[in-house]
Amino acid sequence: MPYYPETTVIKGLARVTRERRLPPGVVHRRTTVGPGAQVSAVTVVLQGDALRAYRILDVARALRLRKAGPQQVADLITVAPDRRVRLGQELAARGRGKRAQTLLSPVDGEVVSVDDGQIIIQASERAVEVLARIPGEVESVENDIVRISGVSAVMQCAWGNGRFFFGGYQFLPEAGFAALRTLDPTISPYRAKMIISPLPIERADLLLAQRQDAAGVVAPSMSASLREFALGLTFPVILTEGFGRRQPTALIYRLLQSNIGRQAAFDAATPDHWRWERPEIVLPLPAGGTFPETPSLTRALTVGASVRLTRAPWDGILAEVVALPPTPQALDNGLRVPCARVRLPNNREVLVPLANLELLG
Amino acid sequence: MGVEHVNSILVADLGSVHTRLALIDLVEGQYRLIASARSRTTAEPPLGRASLGLDRAAQRMSELIGRRIVDEHGDGLFLMPESEGHGVDAFLATGSAGRPMRVFLVGLTPELSLASGARVLASSFITVTGMLCPDDLRPEEAQINALLGGEPDVILITGGTDKGADDILLALLGRVARALSLIRRGTMPVVLFAGNQALRAHVKALFSPYTTVFTARNVRPTLDEEQLVPAQIELALVYDEFRTRSPGGFEAVGRSSQVGVVPTVQGTISTVRYLSALPSPGIGPLCVDVGSANSFLVAGVHGQPHHVVRTDLGVGHSFPAALQAVTVSRLRRWLPAEVGEDALWDYACNKQLRPATIPATLEELLIEQALAREIVRALVSSARPDWGQGDGQVLPPFGPLIGAGAILTEAPHPGVAAMLLLDALQPVGLADLRLDPHNLIAALGVVAYLKPVATVQALEAGGLVELGTAFCPLGRVKVGRKAMSVEIRQPGEQIIRHTVRGGELWLAPLTAGTRVEVVVRLGRGLSIDGRRRIKRRLVAGAAGLIFDARGRPLALPRGAERARRLTAWLKAAMGGRLPEAAPVADDAELRPAPQDLAAPDSDARLAVLVGSSAWDEEEADALLP
Repeated sequence: MPYYPETTVIKGLARVTRERRLPPGVVHRRTTVGPGAQVSAVTVVLQGDALRAYRILDVARALRLRKAGPQQVADLITVAPDRRVRLGQELAARGRGKRAQTLLSPVDGEVVSVDDGQIIIQASERAVEVLARIPGEVESVENDIVRISGVSAVMQCAWGNGRFFFGGYQFLPEAGFAALRTLDPTISPYRAKMIISPLPIERADLLLAQRQDAAGVVAPSMSASLREFALGLTFPVILTEGFGRRQPTALIYRLLQSNIGRQAAFDAATPDHWRWERPEIVLPLPAGGTFPETPSLTRALTVGASVRLTRAPWDGILAEVVALPPTPQALDNGLRVPCARVRLPNNREVLVPLANLELLG
Repeated sequence: MGVEHVNSILVADLGSVHTRLALIDLVEGQYRLIASARSRTTAEPPLGRASLGLDRAAQRMSELIGRRIVDEHGDGLFLMPESEGHGVDAFLATGSAGRPMRVFLVGLTPELSLASGARVLASSFITVTGMLCPDDLRPEEAQINALLGGEPDVILITGGTDKGADDILLALLGRVARALSLIRRGTMPVVLFAGNQALRAHVKALFSPYTTVFTARNVRPTLDEEQLVPAQIELALVYDEFRTRSPGGFEAVGRSSQVGVVPTVQGTISTVRYLSALPSPGIGPLCVDVGSANSFLVAGVHGQPHHVVRTDLGVGHSFPAALQAVTVSRLRRWLPAEVGEDALWDYACNKQLRPATIPATLEELLIEQALAREIVRALVSSARPDWGQGDGQVLPPFGPLIGAGAILTEAPHPGVAAMLLLDALQPVGLADLRLDPHNLIAALGVVAYLKPVATVQALEAGGLVELGTAFCPLGRVKVGRKAMSVEIRQPGEQIIRHTVRGGELWLAPLTAGTRVEVVVRLGRGLSIDGRRRIKRRLVAGAAGLIFDARGRPLALPRGAERARRLTAWLKAAMGGRLPEAAPVADDAELRPAPQDLAAPDSDARLAVLVGSSAWDEEEADALLP
């Protein structure tokens, strides 16, 4: 009976299709591209508004009308529902000259109700813009979802701090982040570049990257206690494996090594099981007249498949499936679960729970 | 197809990690569980199609039983009705996968209508975004922002008795309607009204211009009476509609199911109601389900189901939230070896990233089992005030005690599953321990909507794994002192005599299904039902018979003693054989050296630059924490 594992796409050349949507809580304002449009990674494809709190303004009280009837109050209001207003804009006025009383808008926003002597404004927090985040062509636009596709190397990762950068990258030297302490930030080769670290990072490393005006950091892992700190940074932090002291997936770093000098989209999307974004590094490549395939996410596991092991003690290691025992197998910890027998890079064969391996797309 | 012609019923449960299928069919005039199968749930992006995992599970089931189930050429998911030995007569679905439904609760009084409303919500996978009642002293602006700011999917309105005054409730309804009238963009919440029935027409007229209105019978028809079931059933319909609208492709599953997608906990409540009606030595059944994203507990107290659902407690998707809720120190009490706080948080966050993975080492397994115990304890603490039973520390005499969720049902040994239930629930007296590996409890609950006789018969025919009876005397024990003298007689076999000492757990090595006569003499300070000598005829379960001489309330050891005793309990639960330590990976052979993954040759010039001392090192150090 076939087993369908998770698929992580780590591929040197693939047709990449990504959907871009507005974040939750943001209402759609405009889609700025149409089908067939060519976009760069930083092209804005969707615009929306993150709407904030409602403000209820009592017109009679603001204009010091003690005995005015509803119609009298209504006649003094100078705005109508659905109208956008700016901070300080007049909403209602009484009298002229020095004795004039005016009610000004306390916020930028939209008038949602003018009724019963009250004006209700919904403050607009900020405009939200969604970037294409990969260069390519807009395939379709449907229900505020923009689908973009392009040809790239793709490296899907484990965690990100919600930031994005498109540009170049530099590998850390052998000495690691410690070597960056002696660099002059004004002429540092890491300035405005993503720093690629093959070793887990610590708080001090992130501070050094910040000091160097780096564009961000890619590393295998960091302590979970640094999550809040990383989320507060203004540059992207991408973890290829997860939290703790995890070993890197060599394939990701080799792909980056082999494309040094090129620019890449570093999308440090914070993973959420119910959203479509996943942290990833997308490295646009010339198709060269070829039409690479879109990685399949629904392949069954077969003997001979190349898989990545996701749990200790072999986390991050790439292996080859050599057998798929038909019945559950006993693990060293006593669990009996469906397993695959895989060959590790040192030719040793071990049993690994099916749930703990990923197909590489 | 008429219900009377329904013989075979396929029930799916869409969990956060697994999609499980159970086939109930008529065999020799009696409904039974015929087969079960499971696959990974595929509702999450990037697949986003729940029906795909369902299809895979159905294919698996078809291979197992040699019966075609999947409708490969038609419009539906399954071949229906059953014909010539293929297909099924009905398909039903329960679910817990997906984002919990956000609900804002409106009621008249915190002690009555709001409390009843909260109990209605406890029957589903809900996040309460806020509450509003006439006593709310916040200005209207703050109330409106509280109501709309949490972006609720549903507004549940309760309040008023059926023949009571309505002016205060009318004013409150007006405030809610005014808030809804302000929504111009974004999602409009639906309204579920379960208050004063005299206001139903008014509520429909008031809210229909803005949104969909659901109504249910009043949760408080009189001050003294509380009726939750009609509102819970209506809430299940609202949940189904919410699920259908949510991403994940639930719509196709809901369309094929005759009851839509019912919250898993609703199915469990329904079955617990049936189980409560069966003769039992205790006050009723207790079912606890520890999932990846959500966990819940349903207890039948003298025929009345009580339940608690926690959307922040789980051993996968919700691991970090659960760790936050139960606290690191409480979790560590169950670990024989010291594990650092940072290491636990790293584990929690990694598990959240990959919730379907399973522990491959003993250390990791023990962490997950420790969390499962504390999740159950948290559920018991939340549920206990509603039971009106017990003295605060001791579990009321529920029976049977049923565990669900892979962390319990797929333990390395039935004895370990029994130990986890005993540790977490800490029952007193004779505890009948069972597991529900096929999610039958929830499945049969929705089957009851369609064919109650199938639920009753399938429950009687088994389908749950009977772990065995546990003897759990009340009282404090002195470690090492004689606590239980056990004598087990089985036909044609030698009498088993064993002394269980204080602080020990012993599993009598009996074949499941063996009928035995057990005599237990308890040591000083211990009792079961007030007696020190117990004689029972019992049937051994998958874990044999369990004798728990650790005392109640269970006092957990500290320091070095903790490691020794927890290991001894685990060994006893595993039938005397401890799992092996994890193999150590030879990293040097398996992984490239870090320098191989550092700057490539073309980048070597950087190494030269790095050697310069252009930057003031003291200044750099000052930046570091």
